[in-house]
Amino acid sequence: MRISPEKLSDRRRDRTSRILLTGGTGFLGSHLAGALLREGYEVILLARSSKGVTAEERMGRLFGWLGLSAGDRKKLSVVDGEIVRPRLGLDDREYERLAGVIDEIVHCASDTSFSIRKKSEVEAANIGALGNILDLAASSGCASFHLVSTAYVAGKNEGLCREALVRPDAFHNAYEETKCAAEWLARERCRKEGIRLSIYRPSIVCGDSRTGRSLLFNAVYYPVRTALFLKDLFEKDIREKGGKRARPMGIKLEEAGAVHLPIRIEVREGAGVNVIPVDHFVKAFLVLMAETPDGGVFHIVNRRIKPIEDIVEYAKKMFGLRGIEACRAEAFKDKACNGLEVLFDTYLEAYGPYMRDARVFATDASGPLLEKHSLVSPEFDYELFSKCMAYAVESGWGARLFP
Amino acid sequence: MKPKISQEAKAMAAQCRHYAMCKIDYLGTGLCSAGVEKPYVSYFPQGRMDICHALSEGLLRLTPALVDIAQSCTLCGVCDLQCHFVTGMRPMKVMRELKEYVEARLAEGEAVTNVAEDESLKRLRAIVGPDWATNDPAILLTYSDDPFPLAGPRMPRYVVLPGSRDEVAAAVSLANVLRLPFAIRGNGGSVFGFVFTDGIVLDMNRMKKIEIDAGNWSASVEPGVTSFELQKEAFGRGFRVNAAEPAATVCGNIVCTGTFSTWSNVYGTAADGFIDMEFVDRSGKIFRLNDKSSPNIFAFEKDVLPSPGICTEAVVKLQPVTDDEEGVLVPFGDFREAVRFARDLGRRRIGLAVAVLGSHYIANFLSPSKDLAARLKKALPDVLGINYAVFVVGDQFARDSIYKMAGTVIDSRLLRTLMLGLPKLLDREWLDLVRGLEGGRPLYEVLARPEIRPLLEAALAPSPEAIAGSVDEDLRDLYAKLYARPEMTDMVWLNMFRIVSARMSRHKHMFAFLVYVPLDDGRVIDEIISGFARIAEGQGLEHDYGFLTPMDFGKRAILEYDYYIDHTDEAEKARIGRAMVEIDPWLEGLSEKHKGVLFLKYVFSQGCSRKENFLYR
Repeated sequence: MRISPEKLSDRRRDRTSRILLTGGTGFLGSHLAGALLREGYEVILLARSSKGVTAEERMGRLFGWLGLSAGDRKKLSVVDGEIVRPRLGLDDREYERLAGVIDEIVHCASDTSFSIRKKSEVEAANIGALGNILDLAASSGCASFHLVSTAYVAGKNEGLCREALVRPDAFHNAYEETKCAAEWLARERCRKEGIRLSIYRPSIVCGDSRTGRSLLFNAVYYPVRTALFLKDLFEKDIREKGGKRARPMGIKLEEAGAVHLPIRIEVREGAGVNVIPVDHFVKAFLVLMAETPDGGVFHIVNRRIKPIEDIVEYAKKMFGLRGIEACRAEAFKDKACNGLEVLFDTYLEAYGPYMRDARVFATDASGPLLEKHSLVSPEFDYELFSKCMAYAVESGWGARLFP
Repeated sequence: MKPKISQEAKAMAAQCRHYAMCKIDYLGTGLCSAGVEKPYVSYFPQGRMDICHALSEGLLRLTPALVDIAQSCTLCGVCDLQCHFVTGMRPMKVMRELKEYVEARLAEGEAVTNVAEDESLKRLRAIVGPDWATNDPAILLTYSDDPFPLAGPRMPRYVVLPGSRDEVAAAVSLANVLRLPFAIRGNGGSVFGFVFTDGIVLDMNRMKKIEIDAGNWSASVEPGVTSFELQKEAFGRGFRVNAAEPAATVCGNIVCTGTFSTWSNVYGTAADGFIDMEFVDRSGKIFRLNDKSSPNIFAFEKDVLPSPGICTEAVVKLQPVTDDEEGVLVPFGDFREAVRFARDLGRRRIGLAVAVLGSHYIANFLSPSKDLAARLKKALPDVLGINYAVFVVGDQFARDSIYKMAGTVIDSRLLRTLMLGLPKLLDREWLDLVRGLEGGRPLYEVLARPEIRPLLEAALAPSPEAIAGSVDEDLRDLYAKLYARPEMTDMVWLNMFRIVSARMSRHKHMFAFLVYVPLDDGRVIDEIISGFARIAEGQGLEHDYGFLTPMDFGKRAILEYDYYIDHTDEAEKARIGRAMVEIDPWLEGLSEKHKGVLFLKYVFSQGCSRKENFLYR
């Protein structure tokens, strides 16, 4: 028996609403779980054991990293289950017990791979697993289903992207395609079962705006990381081996120890990347969840697109890099790409749609609600960039987070 | 304190795979001097491992041979590198403990028990000389067992090392007179347990003559000559032979299964490989295949038959070599596509050696350590997108064609870079970095691009020292010297001499299933592979795809599928026994259903037959 919106609002207000959250070991999921616990909600995390570490231990490590106190974790419970398996791989008793205690579900679990050869895995994670969770929702008292999607479900659609379900003709990758299909699947099942559905569509999420802390270092981090890897590699070659390998590639040391990497990166006029910090995403999620008991579709994006040219300059300034240039397509006509450029081009083949993006994400629904709470995403400026990158470097791009 | 062999030495001794790699100088680092002087397997590290294990179990008393075997070990260390290179084991510990253990028992005053020479032994010694026939238990024991999991040990009564064809004939005649069964061993072992008897073991290891007849494109070899030794001799004279595993004897391999390898794509198998052979039959009579009156062993009968006799000479074909041959890998994500490509090469007559390899083979061939192999095996499909690769040796013209046919080719230079830069290639930072590049196409396509080459070389910093850094610290200098030799990263040389193939069973003993298959219907191959996988899974056995080599212009192929077991684990032995019960009728059914499917077990002892007689039935 599902509870009414009013009852759900009461439970939320009293913090007695019991929320099942999936994807708690992921970047967004762990932050959301932490925020919900801090808000006083009762949170049930569905997670699985991995590499000999139990689901509970994994969550414990993450919450330690998030700085959650023992008090914050009082209303936390962890269910060791596998989302990609029917009935979550739980025995009947555990499954029914779980179904009996859920008021809301926040579904964050997702496979963000852009790899074409991993399409079936991405489909299994983004569609198949959602089906399993919707089955649970249907057999439980779940009144509200919160689906964390992406701003990029619009696929190859150009122009204005509305806060509504879309059926694009084409997608850039399996991730977009499956996330789009997931929205429709959730819509269909929730309608049928009388569950209110909220869809949250963040753009690219970076580290915390205050500290730069992050758990994930892909997307906007990746090219910077690559440039730094190349810088370190060739700087060492120059200093220790006289530049035997650097010289033929046109890599050299410049004044004040700056490293010249001859890399041209193709950019598009008026395009760039839409980045929001993770703390903004979390705050926006909580506001939208609280303000819209009847659900809806919400973009959580930055109003200001950041041109790649700016990010290139930020990276050069912060890390003592020279030679990296943002160029228009014409610059590539007369001079073939070198190895470094092939590497960046390959990256841009996958991430280009998000790095050279001129689309506008409508915020008709989400904007006023967030503004009401004075919530506007900070600009991805040099300050935020440098905080995020400093933390990335400090954490060994994630390698030193959980040794 | 009573002398004792440590558990560690005992466990290592039990893990000896009996591949006889310590009996050939495949690294050019020399051979065990005691074994060279007395070529019983007992005097080589392989035999010493068995003896040490038997001593630890209290199965042997001190005998003259045992004392001689222990004392003749100089602890020179040659075997340590030889064994480590393919198995990852360090047998020096066993060698040292064996020597010290026997010395300690002698020091305690234990008597050495002479085993009396009986009448039969006297007559055998009259044929081969006093040193080359024995009934000493220390020697007999080393001819009694193999890691083959489906047969128990059988202690022979005598071990005889004949030195000539006439001695073989005389020994066989005597065995018949004495009514003693006999078994023949080429280089000391058989992974299928066919070389054991409670009568006489004839070990051919003294008959090692090779004669090259360049004008006739042939090499005459005696039965103790190994594939490695023949290939080395042939290669030194500008030729090549279709060779088996390096430690396998040429004659033994031909008689047993016919020689097949990746080169069988062009050199064929079975009767394709030789010009003539000489045998001593089971009555002691000598015959040559080219005699009109000889038995017709070119024919094939689908049955498990005894061998036609003891091969005492094989005249094998020498093949031409050109100086522009190189090995390349054509990577694939999909098995069917890889097989299609290999078949295309076969039917278009492109390339020499051809094989479809899986990530397990590639990883183990390239990696000098078990750990590195395991990491590479994972990274190849997960990160680089290489689930399979077609390995091809071809001249410049063949390679030009391959570049036109294939989307991506990993050439010999890139292979060398990857091999010598393996530790960095598998470094987490590098893997994370390249993983992030993947989008609409597999990463191997990006990494094989010529523009990326300088970057790859800078990032992987390939060098003999770099790859040597992945082995035990005290072996690093030796490995660095090995990998500094061009042949150690030359895919043509490595594939001709096959010195890394024994690495396949580095982590566990390998039980290989070989099946001839039709190549024009991928579904049959899929059915066979999934069947092997299903049976292994059902029994809880570790398993993996091995390789596939097209034959006879891409009409047929030989397919290997491998099960892996710890041969010292009784439960695993029982499981593979149960798997065999399933495999036999299942493959038999497939053989009836599909033309061209034939389990290699039917070719055993019929390796001299014409391949057409078993490939097209």
